Amino acid sequence: MTPIPIQQATRRRKALRAWFDPRGRGLGFIAFALQRITGLGLVLYLLLHMAVLTTLLQGESAWDQFVAFAKSPIMLLFDLLLIAGILIHGLNGLRVSIVGLGFGVKQHKTFFWIMMLLSALLFVYAGWLLFAH
Amino acid sequence: MSNNGRPGPKTPVTLKILRYKPGSIDPPRYDTFQVDADPLMTVLDALEEIRATEDPTLAYRHSCHHASCGTCAMKVNGKDVLSCVTKVLDQKSDVIVVEPLGTMPLVADLVVDMGDFARRYEPAGLSFVRESEYLTEAQTPEGVERYTRFESCIECGICLSACPVANTNASFIGPAGLAAWYRSLQKGDGERADILAAVDSDCGVWGCHGAMECTEACPSQVQPGDLIMYLRREVVKSKLPWAH
Amino acid sequence: MQKTTPSKRGGSWIWQALTGVLLILLLGLHMIAQHFVVSGGLRTFQDVIDYLRNPVILVLEAIFMLVVTYHAMVGVRAILYDLGLDEAGKKKATTVLTILGALIIVWAAYLLLRLTSM
Ligand code: HEM
Ligand code: FES
Repeated sequence: MTPIPIQQATRRRKALRAWFDPRGRGLGFIAFALQRITGLGLVLYLLLHMAVLTTLLQGESAWDQFVAFAKSPIMLLFDLLLIAGILIHGLNGLRVSIVGLGFGVKQHKTFFWIMMLLSALLFVYAGWLLFAH
Repeated sequence: MSNNGRPGPKTPVTLKILRYKPGSIDPPRYDTFQVDADPLMTVLDALEEIRATEDPTLAYRHSCHHASCGTCAMKVNGKDVLSCVTKVLDQKSDVIVVEPLGTMPLVADLVVDMGDFARRYEPAGLSFVRESEYLTEAQTPEGVERYTRFESCIECGICLSACPVANTNASFIGPAGLAAWYRSLQKGDGERADILAAVDSDCGVWGCHGAMECTEACPSQVQPGDLIMYLRREVVKSKLPWAH
Repeated sequence: MQKTTPSKRGGSWIWQALTGVLLILLLGLHMIAQHFVVSGGLRTFQDVIDYLRNPVILVLEAIFMLVVTYHAMVGVRAILYDLGLDEAGKKKATTVLTILGALIIVWAAYLLLRLTSM
């Protein structure tokens, strides 16, 4: 009997579940999913960021308009999301690089928590800077 | 419900089991069954009882009943486990969802095609028997030359099912296979350069993203995820300019 | 059924890790220099232009764009590879992402050149 490769038929739906559904999964999986989500988010942001910077070419008034928009509360929240994404992706990325070369493998969970604690501290500091200025 | 002979008070539990028979139960669906679980009843025991008393067509695999043959692996409430050592009441839920392993193609009900596992595992050529690291000083009985020990991997497929990458990537060698290559390297089976070349690709060690679900799920202490990381280090070390 | 043919494209993880570590420095500098030391987080039009005329900043931003684009494209490719692409699919992914990356870098270079000559 030929087995039915169900996974081939529903590859994309399967990918979403396999990569992002944390049910029944451990901490390492959470880190993996976070790295992937933040990585994709940062790529989108990079493109958006460049599109916005392109308005500089249209001269001063277009830029001033953007700056005014960027200071709205909604955009500040978006900035916070961005900062969180950068911190989580960057610091977890550092952890992945080190563990991925065979160092601190047994301690990878503690290492993850240390990186997330560091992210949280830097996040609070960045948030304070963002709103204090 | 039959009295299964195990001691202790009985608790009614519902099992929600994935059913699939090519051509007849197709697409797959869930069937529910009631069992009276005692504290010692395992998920495999429950399946045996259902098959004996309610539905003789229920398909699942098992052999040893004690975590050493590796045939009875399946998903219980979403976790990849050996059903023969997973107690029903330890799940602490009234409804227990029982599904086949992921990654490998479904054959019927709770049975997946282990050929997919073999295809990824066998190229490493790992032998089952290893030198015993224990009791080196112990006397061997007459007629026994030396103690041997089996490799820890019981080839159950749990790591392959738990791995988020293997789930979607059929060309990834996957945890058990890469761990087997690392064991060959450790034991000095075959040329070091050949082993490193076999795993130095995006289907090999570089396909892993370090989610460590395999190490988390392995019922036999192989810790495949850890071994993949060590294997990577060996690959990188062999490429450093001062390595030669 | 697919075979586990070891296609020889293993080097990119190392480069992604290395560019990642480099990005901690470059992105850190970028965030601090462009946003955090600036009152209000964003410069006025003339300030942006003047700032980019500083050759050190210009070179750092240019390097940042190169590194971040490479890292991002290799990252997206790694995710696509995880879908279990065959060899032809992998080639296609690499081609498309190389072109996309090249476009991003050309776009960034054009922006930097135009802005510094404004
Ligand atoms: C701030 C410093 C950064 C560090 C240390 C870093 C590190 C890493 C590492 C080590 C990986 C590999 C993860 C893996 O193999 O599973 C990775 C993946 C990735 N990174 Fe970064 N990164 C950084 C910034 C960025 C930025 C700014 C972007 C976007 C423009 C980005 C986009 C990606 C993407 C798309 C992936 C693929 C995710 C995946 O494989 O699941 N990274 N990063
Ligand atoms: S039946 Fe042998 S491992 Fe479960």
